[in-house]
Amino acid sequence: MKFVSQTSQRSIIIPAALLLFVCIAVGARAEGPGYSFGDSQGKNDACLACHGNQAKVAAKWYIDANKFSHTTHAKFGCTTCHDAITGSHPDGKTASFTTTCRDCHADTAAQYSQNFHAKNASCSGCHNPHRVYRPEEISGDELNRQCGNCHKQEKIVSSHSRWLPQAGLHLGAIACVTCHSKAQDYVISIYIGKRHGTTEEKLAPAGYDELSRLTAGEDIQSVIDRNRDNYISITELQQFNRDPANKEFFLKAMLTPVKPTHAFQTFDNRWDCTFCHASGPQIMQKSFVSFPEKNGTFRQVAVEKGAVLKALQTVPNFYLMGSTRNSTLNKIGFLIIAGGMIMPVGHGLLRFLTRKNRK
Amino acid sequence: MSTKKIYLQPVPVRIWHWLNALGIITLALTGAQIRYPEYVSMFATYRTAITLHNVAGIVVALSFSIWFFYYKVIAGNLANIYVPKKDDLTTGLFRQAVFYLLAYFCGAPNPHHAKPDDKFNPLQKSAYLAVMFVIMPLVSLTGIFLMNVEPMRDLLFMLGGLKLLVGLHFLLACTLCAFLFTHVYLATLGKTSLAYVKPMWTGWEVEEEHGHEEGHVQDSVPARTAFTGAATAHAKTGS
Repeated sequence: MKFVSQTSQRSIIIPAALLLFVCIAVGARAEGPGYSFGDSQGKNDACLACHGNQAKVAAKWYIDANKFSHTTHAKFGCTTCHDAITGSHPDGKTASFTTTCRDCHADTAAQYSQNFHAKNASCSGCHNPHRVYRPEEISGDELNRQCGNCHKQEKIVSSHSRWLPQAGLHLGAIACVTCHSKAQDYVISIYIGKRHGTTEEKLAPAGYDELSRLTAGEDIQSVIDRNRDNYISITELQQFNRDPANKEFFLKAMLTPVKPTHAFQTFDNRWDCTFCHASGPQIMQKSFVSFPEKNGTFRQVAVEKGAVLKALQTVPNFYLMGSTRNSTLNKIGFLIIAGGMIMPVGHGLLRFLTRKNRK
Repeated sequence: MSTKKIYLQPVPVRIWHWLNALGIITLALTGAQIRYPEYVSMFATYRTAITLHNVAGIVVALSFSIWFFYYKVIAGNLANIYVPKKDDLTTGLFRQAVFYLLAYFCGAPNPHHAKPDDKFNPLQKSAYLAVMFVIMPLVSLTGIFLMNVEPMRDLLFMLGGLKLLVGLHFLLACTLCAFLFTHVYLATLGKTSLAYVKPMWTGWEVEEEHGHEEGHVQDSVPARTAFTGAATAHAKTGS
C-alpha cells in the first residue's frame, strides 16, 4: 500500500513539474525572456537620472523621459533590452545589449525581412525604440515624416505626379503606409491643423502646447468634446468650426491604415483611384479625432457616424471625391435635373398629342 | 409665301457654341463618374474621367472667354442681346410663356422672330442671362479652385472650405444639366425639328415671310459680316 502511495505521489509530482515548466516557458514567451511587464513608474529612474538629463549625457545618449515613460518598452524596463549593462556603467563600453528587436517582434521582423526595405534600413532606421507608438498614437503626418527621413518630399511628389492628379494634395491627406504597407483598410483620422505658417507647419497637426492655449489648462479634448463624454458629435464639430476663438485652427483629415504592416509593397488595387474614391459612404461613416497628448502621442476619440459626409461645418476642408458625397445634396441635385426634364417630357407629350394643330 | 435667310450666328459664336456643347456634355458624363464611381464607369478609369473633366473644364472656360470677347468687344452688343429690356419683363415674358404653354399647342406662330441684334425671346434672355452671367462663371470658378486645391487653400478657407465649393460646383452643374435638357428640347420647336439647330451650324436661319413677292438669294457673305454677324435680312424666293 505504501509502495502504491509513493508511486502515486511520483506520478503526480512529475506531470506537475512539467506543467509548471511549460507555464513558465509560455509565460516567458508571452512577455519576452525573463521580462517583467508592468508599470514603468520608478522602474527606469536610475537610468533616466543621467540619460534623461541633457546636461549629463551627450545628445546621442539622451532619452526624452516624457516621451519614453508611457511606452511599452519603458514598462519592460531599460535593462530588459540593455541587458549587457554592468555595475561599472558607464565604463566606456558601448555594447550595452545583446538583445535584438527580433527577440520580441519575431513575426514583424520576419515580415519586414522579406522586402527590399530591410536591405536599406534596420528597425531603428524608422523606429526610435525610446519613442515607440501604437498605430493609433501616431499622427499621419508623423508617419509620413518617418518615410521622409529617407524619401525626400520633392522626389515623392514628382514621382507620384507622373500618375496621380494633384499629387501634393493627395500626399498631404494620406499616410504613405495606407498604400505602401499592404494595409487592408483605412479610417479617417481627423486632426486639428494650423491655418498659418509654412507648408510644413500647415501639414503638421497642432501640438499639445499650441492647443492648450485654447483650453486654459483643461484637457485638450475639451476643445471639441465640450461635454467630455469621449464621443464627438456632429454638433460639437460644428461648434468648433464656428467658434471665433478657434480661428487659427481648422480640422484636417487623413486616411490612415487600420492596421499597418511591415510588408512595404503596394497592393495592385492602390493604383486604382477607386480604391479610395469608390469606397463609398459606408466606410466614411467611421472617423476619429486625434488629440495631441503632452507626451507627444495622440489619443483617438470616436466621432458620430457620418460626420465626414456632412456637407458643411463638420470637416469643411476634407473632401474625398466620390466617397464623401453628401446625400442631401445628391437629392437636391437629382430634383434639379428632374426639373429640367419637365419640358422635354411634359411639353413633349402635349406636343405629340397636339401635333395635328400645327400641320 | 417667300422665305427669308438671316445670317444669325457668326463664326465665333458657332465655334463657342459647339465647343461649349462638347465640353459640357463631357463634363456632365465625367462628372457623373467622378461623383458616383460605384455606379458610373463609362470611362476606363477614374483617372481618365478626372483628366477628361479637367481638360473639358478648361475648354469650356476658354470658349466662355471667346463668347465674352466676341459679344463685348467685337460685336459690342452683349447687353443688348442678353439683358432683358423693360418690355421683355413687363409683357414679353408673359407672352412668350403663354406661347410655349398654350398657343404652341394650338398651332400659333412664335411671337418672337430672331434677328442678329435681337436673337432671343424674353424667356431665352432671362435664362441665358442667368446661365451665362451667373452659373457659368461660378461653375468655372469653383472648378478652377477644385483643380488647384493646394495652391489656393488659403483662399478656400476664406470662402468657407472645400466642401462648400464642391457642393456649389455640383448643384450648379446639376442646374446646367437641367438647362441642357430644356435647351435641347426647345431647339426642336422650330418649323422642323432641326430648323433652330441648323443656324447654329451654318450661321443662316431660314424664316417664312408673308407679303413679299420676291426676294433674292444671298450667295456670299462679306468676311467682316460673316465674322460679326452684322448681316441684315436677305430674302430668298420660297414656295
